[in-house]
Amino acid sequence: MEFFQDLVTTLNFILQGLWVTIGVTIVALVVGLVFGVVTAMLRVYGNAFFQRIATVYSVIVRAVPVIVIIFILYFVIARFVNLSPFWAGSLALGFASGAYQTEIFRGAFQSVPSGQMVAARAIGMSRWQAIQSIIFPQAVRLALPGWGNEATLVLKDSTLVFVVGVPEILRRAQQVSARTLEPFVAYAAALLLYLALTLLTTQLLQWLERRYRLQM
Amino acid sequence: MKKLGWLLSTLLIVLLALSACTAVPQAAAPAAGGEAAGGETASGETAAPAAEGGKLAEIKAAGKIVVGTSADYAPYESIDENGNFVGFDMDLIRAIGEKLGVEVEIVDMPFDSLIAAVQQGKIDAVIAAMQATAERDQQVDFTIPYRMTKDAFVAAGDSTLVIEKPEDAAGKRIGAQTGTVQEGWIQKNLVDAGLTPADMVFSYERADQAALDVANGRIELLLMDAEPSIALAEETGLKILLITELTAEGGKSIAIPDGATDLKAELDRIIQELIDDGTVQKIQEANGLP
Repeated sequence: MEFFQDLVTTLNFILQGLWVTIGVTIVALVVGLVFGVVTAMLRVYGNAFFQRIATVYSVIVRAVPVIVIIFILYFVIARFVNLSPFWAGSLALGFASGAYQTEIFRGAFQSVPSGQMVAARAIGMSRWQAIQSIIFPQAVRLALPGWGNEATLVLKDSTLVFVVGVPEILRRAQQVSARTLEPFVAYAAALLLYLALTLLTTQLLQWLERRYRLQM
Repeated sequence: MKKLGWLLSTLLIVLLALSACTAVPQAAAPAAGGEAAGGETASGETAAPAAEGGKLAEIKAAGKIVVGTSADYAPYESIDENGNFVGFDMDLIRAIGEKLGVEVEIVDMPFDSLIAAVQQGKIDAVIAAMQATAERDQQVDFTIPYRMTKDAFVAAGDSTLVIEKPEDAAGKRIGAQTGTVQEGWIQKNLVDAGLTPADMVFSYERADQAALDVANGRIELLLMDAEPSIALAEETGLKILLITELTAEGGKSIAIPDGATDLKAELDRIIQELIDDGTVQKIQEANGLP
């Protein structure tokens, strides 16, 4: 019984980090989505120059640990631009996630049969019109399962922003553990919160998948 | 194109492997107290030079000093149920802020990020039970120590040994944590001095393992950091025979940006003042430090 009381007290303390975690995750996912969709389009439909740039971004960023990107953005770049730790961490996480999302959307764009582009052009659509109204709506549906996976990964990667001093859920758990010397209770509380967040994300995305499934 | 990619990646790996071989191996000089000697991740960067007019003027103009800590090291720094920073270091830095006439803003960061943060000017100072090791001293400047590190001789609860000075440990089966300054002290002052045969010295990876062997009677004495030894002794039913400064090297200091000489002079003066008027002693006792 005492365990549960401790757990509730701990949860109360850690909950203050919940909004930070949610905020970081949402910013990172949105930034990553923009980077991902744009880069994937450039990579699949762009000219040789843009294809090259998109490939370099995706390959290099995926080769570098996210924590290094956060470090560079906050300690090197933010010497010249005044970025708060929250924004530095979230943007860096989004920049990194963008590279992974590039690959997700590249796969999705390429999975749309190429005949559709030919057909769209044949009825007089421009390339951009075809991408916009024929390819993209289908690609988004194809990308959803992979994107949902990335969303849960970003949620867990949000623990990394503490490296620049943003107190999210896991750091709050560490603080409790350091004070009470009961790591099990502290991390169990963090585990419950992450589990709840992940389940929620998964549910939401499954609903989206069902809602927008193509009726064949 | 494909071949080029293979060639490039192979070259890169070979180059990195070679440069790693020629790099100077890091001296394994562990910190006696405080948290482990943190890796300064962004240490390649040259420190940002102190601004015109000096760091001290900058702080006074801003009306606040931003201090980084790693709030997971009670009783030095931790966060209480209400989210307040508490502990010896926290009380001390507030006392220092008062003397400086500025507000103190405390930022919680991982221990490993602190040096980089002060180098890059993200924070003005670090107070985190940090010792001015030689490696750290190359990256940042340190104030005079505000608290000397102390060591404890720990024995079994029913031990009849009497240790009044460190040399009384001569000829006893003694243990310490591998690679610590305590182990170094035993080697230099007991073994090399011919007081204790080398086969009576035991080396442990962790302090709690050593404590178990003390309780079991495999070793008679354990020499370790004083602060963690108190909780450890309580938990494992051991007793502390002597707490001493004689075996420890150095103390805990505040880290400030490299070249901030005006800030260092002012902080040194304030720290000395707080030591002399007994404030440091008072804060120490209030936080249960020996």
